[in-house]
Formats: sequence, structure tokens, C-alpha cells
Amino acid sequence: MPKLMIDDRKIEVAPGVKVIAAAEQAGIVIPRFCYHPALGSVGACRLCAVKFLDGPVRGLQMSCMVEARDGMVISSTDDEAVDFRRFVIELLMRNHPHDCPVCDEGGYCLLQDETIAGGHAMRRSMGKKRTHRDQYIGELVQHEMNRCIQCYRCQRFYQDYCGYRDFGVMGSASRVYFGRYADGALENPFSGNLIDICPTGVLTDKPARFKGRRWDFQRAPSICIHCSLGCSITVNARYRELVRVEARRNDDINGHFICDRGRYGFAFANHPDRPRQARINGRDTSYEEAIQTTTQRLSEIARTLGPDSIACLSSSRAGVETQMSLKFLTRSQGWRQPGCFVDRSEQNSVTAAVGRLTPERVVSLGEIEKADLILVIGVDPILEAPMLALAMRQAQRAGAGIIILNPQPVSVPFAYDHRPISPDDLCSTLQKWTRSISSQTRTESHFVEKHEEYRGPETPSVPCPLPPVDSLLQNSRRPMIVCGTNIVGTAIIHAAADLARDIHSDCRFPGLFYVLPGPNAFGAAFASAGGKSFSDILPDIETGNIKALILVEADPIFQFPDQERVKNAVKQLDLLVVLDYVPSRSVGFAGQSLAEMVSPAPLHVVIPTLTHFETQASFINQEGRLQQTTPVHVNGLPMSQLTGGKHPPRKFRSDVPGAGARAAWQVLSELEAVLSSTPADSITFADIWYRIGLAWNISVENRTEIPGNLRILSTTVESEPMTEHYRDD
Amino acid sequence: MIPDDLKETLQRQIAATDHPREQVMDVVFILQDRFGYLSDPLLEEVAALVGMTPLEVEEIATFYEFIYRKPVGRHVIHVCDGVVCWMLEYQSVLDYLRSKLGIDYGQTTDDGRFTLLPTCCLGYCDRAPAMMIDRKIYGRLTPERIDEILGKLR
Repeated sequence: MPKLMIDDRKIEVAPGVKVIAAAEQAGIVIPRFCYHPALGSVGACRLCAVKFLDGPVRGLQMSCMVEARDGMVISSTDDEAVDFRRFVIELLMRNHPHDCPVCDEGGYCLLQDETIAGGHAMRRSMGKKRTHRDQYIGELVQHEMNRCIQCYRCQRFYQDYCGYRDFGVMGSASRVYFGRYADGALENPFSGNLIDICPTGVLTDKPARFKGRRWDFQRAPSICIHCSLGCSITVNARYRELVRVEARRNDDINGHFICDRGRYGFAFANHPDRPRQARINGRDTSYEEAIQTTTQRLSEIARTLGPDSIACLSSSRAGVETQMSLKFLTRSQGWRQPGCFVDRSEQNSVTAAVGRLTPERVVSLGEIEKADLILVIGVDPILEAPMLALAMRQAQRAGAGIIILNPQPVSVPFAYDHRPISPDDLCSTLQKWTRSISSQTRTESHFVEKHEEYRGPETPSVPCPLPPVDSLLQNSRRPMIVCGTNIVGTAIIHAAADLARDIHSDCRFPGLFYVLPGPNAFGAAFASAGGKSFSDILPDIETGNIKALILVEADPIFQFPDQERVKNAVKQLDLLVVLDYVPSRSVGFAGQSLAEMVSPAPLHVVIPTLTHFETQASFINQEGRLQQTTPVHVNGLPMSQLTGGKHPPRKFRSDVPGAGARAAWQVLSELEAVLSSTPADSITFADIWYRIGLAWNISVENRTEIPGNLRILSTTVESEPMTEHYRDD
Repeated sequence: MIPDDLKETLQRQIAATDHPREQVMDVVFILQDRFGYLSDPLLEEVAALVGMTPLEVEEIATFYEFIYRKPVGRHVIHVCDGVVCWMLEYQSVLDYLRSKLGIDYGQTTDDGRFTLLPTCCLGYCDRAPAMMIDRKIYGRLTPERIDEILGKLR
């Protein structure tokens, strides 16, 4: 462990760490442009110069290019270094336009910070500045090439880190140009990160353009809900409108970056048709009346037709609090257990995957980058979990082999070995591999007596298109098994877990990584334990055994494949309650006027809920990590929709317009309280977590702020037995 | 754009290497010698031939000074603007060429004979000032010598 001295501070760092990173560990931030922890060092911008006073290296050197070594004495404040950096920043500012007032980088601009830090204030160059023509690079990123200071971060990120080949650097010397061959949208599904890494305003957020400065925004740390990975994001809102999303560093999961779906997929929160007012049979009503009417009809149905005639469905996008509140509600009333999945096989797959994750085998996305062999089973990474593809690329760049077993064609930005084998063959191959490994393990335990006879694993009787597992794993210490839950059935999910378990040895530490179908599919597996999927309760609705259906942030009317069937079925209900924050098809169905409905008139209730941007919500990602969002703003009609883009109204009012929504768990808790005749107004977030803590037998000390490293696995928490109740069709 | 027989020759040449993209410079120069400059359609055909994206070929084509992305005259005069030439009458050479030919950097004479471009150091520092025409380098330039060199080129 090298011990060195930077600016009179003694520090000890891990071997191989560059001086610039070592200084950062000691709290000294050396100015930089081209250096980025995720992209590494290239020594291009010359801004991180420091003086090496003593030790193995002497003189002025770039701190990003020199490894920290024992005995180094370094000064970042030495006159020579300070002078050097001032000239460098003056040079970099030579061509930079002074368009800061209209530049969207304001508030995010590293160039402003480094110019001030470098001590450059007065322009001396009298020559003309070089100018460029900007390109159209799509609807997501704005190009403004004149502002470029040639740090090469964008090109290194785009081509080296991501592996896409349609954006790069052209020209040389003062004509260096970062862009595309011709105008056109960027092909990289991670292109939005260019905005975060560009230290000036060359690449800025296009949808958020001219919407405000960083300090105008309400900002909060949050979690992305567009796939099961649960990447960390920072959310920016202004005037009750979501404006932009940035990547938030999380070395356990997404590192420094997020995908474009996560960055730009927030329009649902600003949707002009978002439900904002409770509705009964198509008529706007108060929240209190909606609760009153709903509970009355629910007790009536329970009394006359029995509690079994009431069904509840949540989804894998609902937060833990919502899913579990629904479970508490059904439990307290003796109704059917809630479901969280529309499709039975999806419930089975997720339940199987969640059940097989153990503390020994589970890995985070960050650990995928450190793999030396990755088996990808039935996953299309870019489609199902984009950041997984980026993590696998980093592993591949470091030398890992990647084998994709998938009957479908996949498109990923790295070299891989694609084996398009059918799900049946896939399952038998995995099982065969597991068997051959198990027999090897047995052989090894009797190695001393039997090594003469040992002739390797049994030859497979069926022709197998894949190499035998032992040759595959020969040099692998850290293999990862990445398995999907979408196109593969439970048999493959179990086979993947068996393989991960059996290839474990003294010198091999396999990881198991499932990709699930939603941001909180993991929580849904717990919440729907003992409950049925929508496809399994549909016949009961059709036969009239179920007369009331409560949909909580679930949309089976859209998701169930047979639209006619599902619509005819829900028409027979006496009561349909839909809680949601998006104008889903189920919300539309329940919110319409009942003129054309059959008599006796059913009761359709819509109760608007809050997004995870407007309330605290918890999600369990695909590795069991419990993460929480922080509300960024209050729910309400965005100002732009209230005024049609004009000046905000000059009349003051004490309420927020369009703020009729409540968190789904709050609505459900209130329903439970009214139905059980207990006081409702005292139910808080902490109360819900107290109940969840009891249900799972975990101790959550601070029940309003759950630590981000808490893993909820089926083996570490108590829950109802999660068995797969049904065979796969 | 590329005639079939030439295309086949290029494909054979590319197929003979382990990595098609290592042939990109050779292919570009063969085509430039044939067509005078690397037009957009030619660049895109090069990209397809060597398995690169048009951007990747453009990155190379715009980096090197001897790859022309716009039409040039029959002879391209590259004036060395290396530091040693600066010290030894670079400016006079450039001024003489400008007035003699009536063109500035990046322009072509009306008769299509000459295009004037700068180049980075040619390594002729011991014989500065220098210029390069049609891959041949000329040093110790004087107005008389320039007249003589250009006079031989039609």
C-alpha cells in the first residue's frame, strides 16, 4: 500500500491508484477535464498538473497519468503547477464562446469552475475564435460544438465505454470536431450520459432545454423504475413539472451512468391526462366520497356474497408500501390474497427467481463488471435491463468471455458468443452441465484413490451445441450466471440456480443474477405469495364468483392479451376500483360515464395516486436491494398546463390545483381503517414500515429512511411460503 | 461509384488480411489516386468494404492531411508550416505562392492545375523552407526554384 504526501497530508492508497484519485481520497480535488473515474486517464487536457517535489517522480507531471507510489511528496499548490494550470485554462478558453447566459450548462459547468479555480479572468487573445456548424443528433441531446474544449470525454464514453460507432471525433488540431458523420439521431441507448460527462455545454439535455437553471430546480435523489435494476437517479422538477433526470453515482449498481429510458422516461408524471380527481361512474367527486362509496359497496358485497368475491391486484411497478398495504387490507378483511401479476407464468417465473437467490450467490450489477465469464440465459439486455449490457461490456473489455444463450437474436455493444438454442435444449444443457459438475465434485473428493480411473465427465448422449462445462469454466474464478424471467420458464430459472450452486468451488465464486420484469417485481413476489395472477382470477370474474375488483397501479385491461375477453369480464363486476397515477386503459375504462352499461348499474371508482417523484416509495430491485425514493415536489397540475405556457396566475390561492391524489398505500390504509372502523388519519409511512417489518421479521430501525444496502431475500426475511402454485402451461 | 473490377481487386486485398480495417488507408489512397478525392459516396463505400462505420472512416479521413474530402487540382502543393520553416522564410514562400498562383490556402487555380494547402512538419528541417507536391518533397525553396518546380507540372 503506497504511502505518500499530497499538500502536506499523509495518505495511504491502494496500489495502482493514480495521484489525482489519491488526492481526491484525501479531499483534495485537483482540477481536471479529460480525467473521469469511469473513463480513466488519457492525459489530454493538461489541466491536472501538479509538482512532484520528492520521491520516485520529480517535477511537473499530470496527476492523472502518474500512479501513486511510496515516498511521493506532491504539491498541487506549488507556484510552477499553479502557473501551468492557469496557462492551460487560458488556452482552453481561447475559443470558448462567452454565451454563458443562454447556455444550459449553467449550474452544471465544470469549465466555469475550473476557469475560476485556475485563476484565469482576463482574456489576452485578440484573435478570432474558431467556429463550427452544429449537428442535429436526435431529440435527446443538443449539440453546440463551439463550446468544445477538446477533452475527448464524449468520444471515449461513446466508443470505448459503450461500444457504439456513430459518434466520434473528426479533424485534427484546432479543427477537432465531435459529432456524427451526418445529421441524425444517436444510435447509442446510453447517449444521455454525454450530457452528464461533457464538462461544458457542447452536449446538453434537449428536452430540458431553456427550462431553468440547476438552482431553479427542486432536486431529489431517486430510483429509476423503468426496469428491475433500480439505478440511482437525481430528479429535477420545476413548477410542478418533471424537467430532467440525471444519473446519480452508485458504485453498487449503475456506477456513474444510466440508460436513456431511465433518463428521459418521466413524461408519465407530467401527462396532461393524468388522473387528478376521484371519479365515480365518470363523475368527478371528492376523495372522501369515493372512499365512502367504495367502502359501503365493499362491505355490502362481502356481506351478501362473501369475502371471497372480492379480488385485488397490484403490480410490479407499485412500491413495497403499496403492495404490502394491499396485502394487509385483504388480510384484515379476509378477502382473497392479492395478486401482483397479470400473467400466471410471469408470477411463477418471478417467484422461482426470488426464491432461488441466496446471500452466497447474489451479486449486484456493479459486480458483473468484475466477472471473468458471463453466461447470459434468455435475456435481451438492451431491452430488459439496459445498464446490464453496459456492465457486461466493461467485463468484456477487461477480458471476460460472454456467452449468450437465447433463441432470439440480440443486439449488444460487445463481442459475444451467441448460441441460439431452443428453451428445451437450453434447459437440458444447463442440467447436463450441472450433473457433470456434480459428478466431478464427487470425483475430486475421492481424488487420491480414484484419479487413475477418472476420465473426465460423461460424454453427453444427446448432441450438445455447447462446449462441456469444465472447458468453459477452466480459467474462470468469477463466473456470472445472468438469467431472465421473460422468455424462459421456471425450469430454466431453477437450472440456472442449480448450475450457479454446483460450479462453486474453493477457487471459483459464481454469481447469480436474475433479470425481473418490473422495478418492484421482487417485492411483488413477496406480496403476491398465496395470491393468484389476473389470468387465474379471470374465470372467477366471468362466472360471477368475483364481484368486486380493486386494481392498484395495475392495468390488466391493457396487459391481458385477449382485450375483448377482459372487457366483457370486467363489465360483469359490481364494483371496479382503480387506483393509479397514469391514465392507463383501466383508469380510462373505470373513469368513463356508465350510460351504455348494463343494468343493474355497477359502481366504477377511480382514485388518483402519487408517483414515486411525489411521495416516498420503496422498491426492491432484482438482487433484493431495498431502495427508497425521496419526493422531489408536491403533486399538482403542472404550471405549464394550468396557464397554457403563460405567466403564472397573479392571484394567490392557498391550495395546489390538481392535487387530489394520495399515495396508494395511504388510500389502501384508509380503506382498511374505514372497513375495520378504526381511526384512519394517523397512518404514516413509519406505521406502514412497522407493519412490513413485523410481517417480514426484519428490524428496520429508522422506519422513515431505509438504508440503501438492505437486502431483502427470501432466505433472510420471513414471509409466507412462496411456492409456485401452478404448472407452467 | 467504384467500378466492379477495381472493387474486386480491393475486396481480394482486404480479404488477404486478418483485420479488414487495417486496410482502410490503402483503400482510401487507391481510390483517391483514381478519383482525385474521397467523395462522400466513395467514403461510404470504403466503410462498407472494410467493415467500419462511415464515421470511423471520416475520423481517419479528416485527421490526415493528404486525404482530400473535397475536389482538388491536379497537383496539391502542401507548404510545410513546421516551426523550423517558420524561422526560415515560410511566410515568404507562402506569399510568393499566393501571388504567383492567385489563390489562398484551400483554393484551386482556375485552370485546375494547383491546390494550395498547409501541412504539418515534413521533416525537411535541415533543408527548410520545404513543400510537398505529388508526394515529392522540395527543400531550400527560393522564388526561382518554385518557378522551376511548378513550371514542370502541367
